[in-house]
Amino acid sequence: MAYMYLGWGISLAVLALYALSLVARGRRLTKSVPPERRRWTS
Amino acid sequence: MTTPQVPTAPDGTGSPATRVLGIVALAAMALLVYLAFVATPRDATQGDLVRLLYLHPGLAWTAYLACGIATAASIQHLRKRTIGSDLLAHSSVEIGAVMTALTLVTGSVWGRPTWGVWWVWDARLTSTAVLLLLLLGYLALHRIDAPPEVRSRRSAVVGLLLVPNVILVHQSVQWWRTLHQEPTLARRDFDFGASDLMMFTMIYGFVALSLVFSWLLVQRFRVGWLEHQVEEAWLDEAITERRAEALGAEVER
Repeated sequence: MAYMYLGWGISLAVLALYALSLVARGRRLTKSVPPERRRWTS
Repeated sequence: MTTPQVPTAPDGTGSPATRVLGIVALAAMALLVYLAFVATPRDATQGDLVRLLYLHPGLAWTAYLACGIATAASIQHLRKRTIGSDLLAHSSVEIGAVMTALTLVTGSVWGRPTWGVWWVWDARLTSTAVLLLLLLGYLALHRIDAPPEVRSRRSAVVGLLLVPNVILVHQSVQWWRTLHQEPTLARRDFDFGASDLMMFTMIYGFVALSLVFSWLLVQRFRVGWLEHQVEEAWLDEAITERRAEALGAEVER
């Protein structure tokens, strides 16, 4: 059981941390980019 | 009289479409966890360890997908030299490295109680480790101190090697004698035996992780685009300063 929880735990934690780091990087970078250059089409 | 509403620029990498995709991906992962831990029974042979197999092949699949996209974008970059193709390849490689590392970790965690070892220099495991090194090599090459077009071109050459390596990883269990089992889902006579739900959960894992991969790719691409804009703005500023300096020197003469 411990191995199974370890595998799932590491995977979900890494994916969540990576996703959060991308969102944080995006928010930080938008402050340095003029608005007309950060309008996403959809 | 009302003034027309000007759409405000987003303060991050999110947009209405990516928010929907993000919610769908999150819900898909929640359902995968429910199926893996609650709905499916224990396996007669592997016990609870089988629950890792609802995650591990899906992670490997997204790593393959990332490499496929990265190689296609690298080919496009070497042909057309567009910033979009470089950003797509770079984004895909970064996510591919995360997925490949997680594939190795989950495989190793499954292997310890099943095979009795964390790691063995088996053809499948070794070729996957080589794939991870190649992905990390691409990322390292993309960070070298060189003009952007030079580092993008050099990275794209490494990007070309990703799909051949994926073929090697996938076929390794058939080309060499390995401890890792042969591909099970691709076999025509494959029968999960115990439960159709176990089979469904395993295949559903591919779908759920593909949705997560798609969301991550869009986000990473937009982060790359913002980084490119910051770099461009810095270059524009530096050029303007140099021009002003040169002009000042001309006037003094």
